[in-house]
Amino acid sequence: MTRLAGVVAVNTFREAVRDRVLYSLLFFALLMIAAAILVGQISIGIETLVIINLGLSAISIIGLMMAVFIGVGLVYKEMDKRTLYAVLSKPIRRWEFLTGKFAGLLLTLLVNTALMTLGLAAALLYVKHSFAAADVTILVAVYFILLKLALITALALFFSCFSSPLLSILFTVGIYVAGLFASDIRTFGHITGSRALDAIAVAFSYLIPNFNNFNITASAAYGRAVPAKLILDNTLYAAVYAAIVLLAAAAAFSRRNLK
Amino acid sequence: MRNRGPSLALTLLAIALGLGAVYRLQVRMDSEISRVHQERDELLFRSGRLVKTLGLEYDGLLADIYWTRAVQYYGEKHSSFDPNFELLWPLLDLTTQLDPHLIPAYRFGVIFLSEQPPIGAGRPDLAEALIRRGVANNPEYWRFWADLGFLYYWGMKDYQKSSQAFLEGSKNPDAAIWMKVLAAKVAEEGRSLEVSLFLWQQVHDSAKDAATRLNAEGHVHRLKAELDLRQLDEIVAEFHKRFGRYPNSMEEVVRAGLLRGKPVDPKGFPYVLGPEGRVGLNPGSPIHLEEPKPMNQP
Repeated sequence: MTRLAGVVAVNTFREAVRDRVLYSLLFFALLMIAAAILVGQISIGIETLVIINLGLSAISIIGLMMAVFIGVGLVYKEMDKRTLYAVLSKPIRRWEFLTGKFAGLLLTLLVNTALMTLGLAAALLYVKHSFAAADVTILVAVYFILLKLALITALALFFSCFSSPLLSILFTVGIYVAGLFASDIRTFGHITGSRALDAIAVAFSYLIPNFNNFNITASAAYGRAVPAKLILDNTLYAAVYAAIVLLAAAAAFSRRNLK
Repeated sequence: MRNRGPSLALTLLAIALGLGAVYRLQVRMDSEISRVHQERDELLFRSGRLVKTLGLEYDGLLADIYWTRAVQYYGEKHSSFDPNFELLWPLLDLTTQLDPHLIPAYRFGVIFLSEQPPIGAGRPDLAEALIRRGVANNPEYWRFWADLGFLYYWGMKDYQKSSQAFLEGSKNPDAAIWMKVLAAKVAEEGRSLEVSLFLWQQVHDSAKDAATRLNAEGHVHRLKAELDLRQLDEIVAEFHKRFGRYPNSMEEVVRAGLLRGKPVDPKGFPYVLGPEGRVGLNPGSPIHLEEPKPMNQP
């Protein structure tokens, strides 16, 4: 990332903080405190399980909402307020501006997720009184959530380069939901019995980002180890896919007439 | 300010290469992911009341989701030849508690909870509980009585209860006429190939999902083959009575006028005639008889 993109990234992060985005942490903290206190009374033998499932789900949902709702406004807001023209009049390329915006939101998500993970750890400590080596899988699950959020951010940014925020939300959420069913789409293709439909379904299932790759909440809840190869492959997958989407976003944004 | 990025052709090439890499990675990850997800054989919530409460006003939608999960769960287990169906009951239990009128869930459950592993969970008691709930929640739906009669007949081998269920169902004005006939036939004869075949044919014809239909089709083919073999044994015995010896081939039986043509099983494979007039399935036939047929019947 270039120095100029870094400046954009830092400013995007500052703007998010000024917009009180990190207030979501307060909600998360309250949720975790309530869960930690109540869970012992409503669940028998699965207190830890509920805390981990609830915590990871909340981290994922809050992160998703931030990535989508802030992501789709990253470019649109700048154009709407006409601040984009002032920025682009400086010696900065459009792709640098986009990369900076992407990195800025990613930094926001990283800080937010890290703080929520601390909250989850605190709630877990309250319930379990100690940590076990197997709990490291929870960190892997959080890391996978971050990879997923990076992909979602890239998609939201891509759509925001050429459509309105509402449509961008619909497109991003649509791809996210379809991506959760990527493996099922492949199976449905086989079931149809039509070779053409099967081929289309298989191609489509590989073309859309497979968000199921990033869901290891159950493994984390039961402290089952995640193979290192999967962590590496998932990292590569998210990085390559996000790069493709950002490349497409840069291509679309570079060719957009801003007059 | 420079507006133009790299050329469009280069960008497209980079995207295509990237997608190729993504495809390779996904293929590599598929087996790893399925291994990680395979371990996810649990249900966090098993209480229908709790799920209903947590689902706010969306219990119908939740029921649909649980039902879809039940079918997928069964499909995954069945296709991987895993005989452990421990989550089938909780999934169907939750589904029917969330939506007590979801007919396909009861009908699917009665078959695959009662069938023995590796086809089903081997729990006819749970199948009975499920279908009884279906009857209680949907008294107008006479087919549940047929399913209950079928369960007692096939899964639990309790022919008295089976007959009673068919008779109870036949009191519904919409019930098919054969319900009353079956009630009498099962009470009189107990288990027979004809009744079994008729019941599986009914399951097959009224099934809404492919898994039930396919499973029923397998039973129908097997039972038809068993009936054919029984009939062919009688014909071979007749040949023996007339000529004082067993036929050497099916063609010989046809030439003797005892058969109109070379008999084939429901899958189209010709039946074979072994030494001493033994009629059996063609070794290439995909049909498998549940119990070994007594081969030396006169």
